[in-house]
Amino acid sequence: MRVYFSIFRIKTAESFQYRLAALSGSVTSFVWAVIEVAAFTVFFQYAENAGFAGGLTLAQTVSHVWVRELLLFMQPYGIDGDLIEKLRNGDVGVELCRPLDLYWHWYSRTAAGKIVVFIMRCLTCFLAAFLLPGGYGASLPVSLAGFLLFLPAVLCAFLLCCSFLMLMTAVRTNIQWGDGPMYLLGLMGGVLSGGYLPLQLWPDFMQTFLLFQPFAGICDIPARLYIGSMQSSEAWLGMTVQLFWLVVFIALGRMVMARRLKSVIIQGG
Amino acid sequence: MSQIELRNIRKTFKVYERPEGKWALLRGAFSRTVRAVTALDGISFTINEGELVGYIGPNGAGKSTTVKVMSGILTPDGGECVISGRVPWKERKPHVARIGVVFGQRSQLWWDVPVSDSFSLLRDVYNVPPGQFQKRHDELVETLDLGGLLKTPARQLSLGQRMRCELAAALLHSPDILFLDEPTIGLDAVSKLALRAFLREENKKSGVTMLLTTHDMDDIEALCSRVMVIGRGRLLYDGGMEGLKERYAAYEGQDIDEVIAAMYEELAL
Repeated sequence: MRVYFSIFRIKTAESFQYRLAALSGSVTSFVWAVIEVAAFTVFFQYAENAGFAGGLTLAQTVSHVWVRELLLFMQPYGIDGDLIEKLRNGDVGVELCRPLDLYWHWYSRTAAGKIVVFIMRCLTCFLAAFLLPGGYGASLPVSLAGFLLFLPAVLCAFLLCCSFLMLMTAVRTNIQWGDGPMYLLGLMGGVLSGGYLPLQLWPDFMQTFLLFQPFAGICDIPARLYIGSMQSSEAWLGMTVQLFWLVVFIALGRMVMARRLKSVIIQGG
Repeated sequence: MSQIELRNIRKTFKVYERPEGKWALLRGAFSRTVRAVTALDGISFTINEGELVGYIGPNGAGKSTTVKVMSGILTPDGGECVISGRVPWKERKPHVARIGVVFGQRSQLWWDVPVSDSFSLLRDVYNVPPGQFQKRHDELVETLDLGGLLKTPARQLSLGQRMRCELAAALLHSPDILFLDEPTIGLDAVSKLALRAFLREENKKSGVTMLLTTHDMDDIEALCSRVMVIGRGRLLYDGGMEGLKERYAAYEGQDIDEVIAAMYEELAL
């Protein structure tokens, strides 16, 4: 266990060097979110007669936008570039010469890479959003209970996201596949996680499906607890969905990786 | 009692080829020819504890493939391999915990963090007790003269400096066996000599078994009492350096490189 924490630590130390990149990412997030907030405000104020009701109020939607920026680091795309590079050029051979389980070894690396993005990009953007005038900026969680449930939900979301990325990494271990299928899956996951539009603003007949599919747990379920569109009494359902998919992704990822490693070709001489 | 034993190891790789000529690119997208390339065609040898063996052969002869099989990161198509009582690819984790590997063209150091961070990570990876680690660490830092390099990120080291750090990294957990895959590639004369002196000393002092693949005949002559020659996946010679010279040297005082070239030619490699 300790060694995986060490890997986590060294990867974090390594990634913290890219401060400027993180800062520019933070600014991008901020500007993007402001545009979204403006667009939502317009929609909510002028589209009522067009039958636009939706499952959320404007205040909740704006809050959702900012919470989403906070959770952006968990978007289900972006496999650790170093890992892909190692698979491509054969350095995976060096990794396999370590007496470690490659799945958890790379899981720790993936997780560390995400944490750095969280602290340097997402957290700064989210905190800055409190400086915006009321109605546009971020708001505090609706209730203390909601916030206390939000924290474990974020942790579950984080583990869920990493296990999904590890599944993609395992699939990607076959380097002849290329990046195409990964982008496709990543984009689909991004949409279904509520990373583009809160899931509760989608048509009513889709709501059950949207809540139970794997990606809701990555962003939308924690965000619902924060903005209060999921009652604290329903939190158990959200977190059960998260944990269910967490177990599924870990099992699948380990299975695919074990099978792939049997036939993995270490490239280069 | 032999420590490493290979019997009739075979490995074939598939190479995908695109047809040539007009419209080849287009046709290649739909059909490709698969050619089987035999990397290892029944390799057998044994190595005893504490031996320092040179392993040579022209490019593409199967040297690296053999090393990969022995490090447990490549599963051969057939044959047996037992190292310290274990089959490397079946018991990868306990096996690699007892070996060290240096790939001249790959790095096991973390690129962007100080060398000492990589070393501490290795302590946790191999689970070396702190006292023992410190002793070994200081010993290696002293003999390899790493004192001034520990705080430098790996990316800023020269090749010679990095190679010394790589060696230390491979030996920190006091392995029983060390595989060196072209460790002197690209090194200047001074670094080469220092590296050789270190390897000879380390072999004598701690009795670690070493298998050295290289194209630098001076490496072999300076270090190894026994040399194995591989060509087209088969073992062609196994014995002392003197015997090799006697068989292939046309006249007295011939350069060792010429001897080897004469041998490769005669064997039509």
